[in-house]
Formats: sequence, C-alpha cells, structure tokens
Amino acid sequence: MLSDMTLGQYYPVKSTVHSLDPRMKIILLILAIVAVFTAGNSLAFLPVAAYIVLASRLSNVPFKMLLKGIRPLRFILIFTVVLNIFFLPGETVWLDLGFAKITKEAVITAIHYGIRLILLVMFSSLLTLTTAPVTLTDGLERLLSPLAKIRFPAHEMAMMMTIALRFIPTLLEEADKIMKAQSARGADFESGNLLARAKAMVPLLVPLFVSAFRRAGDLAMAMEARCYHGGKGRTRLHVLKMKKNDYIALLSMAVLLASVILISRFL
Amino acid sequence: MQIEFQSVTHTYQSGSPFQATAIRNVHFSVQSGEFLALIGHTGSGKSTLAQHINGLLKPTEGQVLIDGQDIHAPGYDKKTLRQKVGLVFQYPEHQLFEETVEKDVGFGPKNLGLGEEEIANRVQEALEKVGLPYNEFKEKSPFELSGGQMRRVAMAGVLAMRPEVLVLDEPAAGLDPMSREDMLQLIKGLHQSGTTIIMISHSMDDVARFATRALVMKKGTVAMDGTPAEIFLHADELEDMGLDVPVICKLNNTLRQLGLPLPEGIYEEDALFSALMNLWKGGEKDAQ
Repeated sequence: MLSDMTLGQYYPVKSTVHSLDPRMKIILLILAIVAVFTAGNSLAFLPVAAYIVLASRLSNVPFKMLLKGIRPLRFILIFTVVLNIFFLPGETVWLDLGFAKITKEAVITAIHYGIRLILLVMFSSLLTLTTAPVTLTDGLERLLSPLAKIRFPAHEMAMMMTIALRFIPTLLEEADKIMKAQSARGADFESGNLLARAKAMVPLLVPLFVSAFRRAGDLAMAMEARCYHGGKGRTRLHVLKMKKNDYIALLSMAVLLASVILISRFL
Repeated sequence: MQIEFQSVTHTYQSGSPFQATAIRNVHFSVQSGEFLALIGHTGSGKSTLAQHINGLLKPTEGQVLIDGQDIHAPGYDKKTLRQKVGLVFQYPEHQLFEETVEKDVGFGPKNLGLGEEEIANRVQEALEKVGLPYNEFKEKSPFELSGGQMRRVAMAGVLAMRPEVLVLDEPAAGLDPMSREDMLQLIKGLHQSGTTIIMISHSMDDVARFATRALVMKKGTVAMDGTPAEIFLHADELEDMGLDVPVICKLNNTLRQLGLPLPEGIYEEDALFSALMNLWKGGEKDAQ
C-alpha cells in the first residue's frame, strides 16, 4: 500500500534520458513548464504532448509509469476543471444555471488548465523517474551554487534534501514493519471513522518518530565523526560535465518552445 | 494447532522492476508443541516465511493452512488468528509507543476487546512471565528502560494475547550475553509450558540447545528439514550455504578427522563428553 507512489520514484534503467546531466534536466523541466504555460490554444498543446511521448520513449520508462503519477492528483485535477467550468467568464453561453453560467470559453479554458496540470505532472515525473534522487540534488546544488555569493545556503539545502530523500525508503520500510508488528497485536488501521483511524495511527507514529530521531542523532554523530563541517572547501567524487547529448536536448527543447510560441501567436 | 504451508511462493512488488521472489514453493507443516528453528543466510526468506504464519503477508501462490483451513479464504477470522499466533519481530522494542509499560503490554488484549480487569490480569501475568515485577514496572515509561528490559516488555506485549504459537524473529539479536541467555531461557520455559515455538536464529549453538526440529532455508526454498542431529550431519553443506555449525559439532568433526573413532553428528557437550569418556575407558581396557 505504501509502495504505490510514482511521483518522486526513480525507475532504474539505462537510457539516453537517464544519462543526461541533472542540471540540464532541471533546466529542461523549467523550460517545459514555460512551454506548457505559454501554450495559448488547443493546437499548441500538440507539440508539447508529442515531446513528452517522445521523451518517455527515449527514457525506456513505460508510459504507464508516467500516467500513474497523475493518479494521486486526480481529485485536484477534477476539482480545478469543474470549478473553472462554472466560474470562468465567457460570452457564448451554453447553459445558464442562474447562480453560474457555463460558457464555451470557460469549458475550453478549464480543459486547458486540466491538460496543463497533467503535462506538468508528467514532465516532473519524467525528471524524477529518470534521475536518481542523489544525482538530482547534486544537480540542484550546482545550479544554485552561484547564489552562495548572496549567502544562500545551497550546499546545506542540497544536503538536507539528499538526506531527506535518502531516508524516505528507510522510513517507509520502518513504517511498514511497525504497522505489521502492531497488526500482529491486533491493531486495526483500516476500519472505523476518521477519528478512530486517526487514533489508530498513534501506535504507528510514536515509534516512527522515536526511530526517526534516533536515526537523525546517529547520522549526525557519524557525519561529525568523519569531519563533516559543511560545504566549504569540499571537493566532489563525481564532477558533473555537460556532454553533446545535453546540448542536443536543450536544442530540442528550444525548438519545442519556439513552436509553441509560434502556434499560440499565429494559429 | 497445526500449521501447514502448501507450495507457498511470495513475490514482493510483483510486476515492477523491483520485483523479488523471497520464498519459492515452500512446503512444510508444524505440529503443536514443536520447537522449530528457522535457519538460513541473510536474504534466504526466513522473515518473509515467518510473516506468512499469521497472515500478515499473503502468498502470491499456494496456501497457508491452520488446522486445515486456508487463512486467506474469505470470511476467515483474522483477529482470532492473530491472537493464536503471536509474532515477535526483530528488535521488537522499536514498536513500543505507550506512556506506561502497563498500557503498552495491554495494547494487544485491548484490541481483542477484553474487559479492563481481564486486561490487567493478562498484563500482570505476561510481565511476570518475562521476569519484570508488575508493581515495579507498570507505571514506568517503556522508553526509560534498558535495551534488554525494553525487549522483554515488547515480548510481554505479545504474550499478553496468550498465543498458542509464538513466532520469534531473532529474539536474542543485539542483546548482551546475560540478557541473551535470559531471553533464551524464557523462550525455553514457554516451550515447556506448551507453547509451540518457531524461532528464526543465526546461532547454531542456540538451535542445538533448544530446537526439536530445524528448517534450513536457502535462496527462498527449504534446503533441509529435520532434527538438529540430522541437520548437523551435513556440516559441509551448511558451511557451503554460509552457515555455521555448533562449536561442539566442529570439535567432533575435527577429532574424527584426526582419527578418533567418534560417532558422526554429535552436537551436544554432554554427548561428546560421554563419547570421549567411552573411548578413554575402552582405551584403558585395551591397555590392560
């Protein structure tokens, strides 16, 4: 039950997309987000959709995995679309309910919002599915490092993220084990109303917090014992380097962005 | 109470790239009153196997039968199953959560829907069983106890459900020698008072001392099944699997290799001692 999350999960296969520089992938994601929001008419979404399909083919990640990332967000998605259908202004009235009007323009814009959300989730899922968390935070740290000049703690933030990500599977495993141990003592996590269920979480959460604090303490001690003192003067084992493929990917994204802008402007 | 595994296979995260088969086609049964040791190298599927006994994991293929009934059949009473089969996980002290020892041990009985008086009785009984005086410990926070005491409180939490079968996943792991011995003596006592014990262990010496039967797991399958005496006859195979044999067993084998006419498969101190005594006496007679 706890292993059913795609968003933020790494899919360990080899591919062109996997081997791209994490910094480039983050930049590509930002550009893709720009493209998704620049798309001004239905036609403009076509190249974006084609791009994500192509990228997922190149990444050897099954398209199904990308779609699975949308599932947890389905309520937000439906909520956004429905709400916008009712409350966006428009001229061509399709249905007048008195308190709200459904117009052609509102329906189209609402559907655009929905498509945007889906594309956003798919692009970000593609990034996390093809980039190991540690590599990802490494890339993020490098991208943010110029900000160190204005005292932005890029290294500390990346280290915190790395540690947090590193411990997600550990804590999930721990939670699973404690859940099983309490179930073995007859605990019931699944039935009852909201209050009963919240109360049933106590035997799970208390041990989980206790162990999280213990682990944090141990880790801090172990890091200090190995002379960790922050990012200053620290060299790295894997130095990131942009390669030919990275620039090709950037070029492809530029083409996408240009075509989206052109289609939105002139069609 | 009879436990029966029929061709049980379990695959984790089936159908994903993380798919892993932990146990494959496992077939065995356990009768009331046995002390079964589950032995195997890390990753051989012992823990997965143990979690099938009280239905925490569902076999991907095959069936687990308790007294002839499939525990995953619709309508099977899982709550009674969890009461009858107590499961003590590895490092059970990590599951403690209540403010007082009494409340924590009472968690299981409370989930069974028992009355307050009955719960108090069971908590007292369980705490005394694990050697923690009820009056001294009931008001203490489980988090202020020593490691060995915490382990015993967690154990009491399972015993308070009065299980007929107790499954223990390395109950002595990480304890100091004295707490370790106390824990093993406690388990031995439970076995003597009629509880069926299934214990996962890495220590062959413990298996030799306590188990009436041992099941050796290798890469998810049952490699050997028999009494400790039968198992330890295959010392070479065990060592190939990365497992140890009891010290006495090793000594016996070395002495045999040196040419002493000792019987095969001795693994108990007393047995080796009397065998050596026999040899010595025999030797004296020959000399006369």
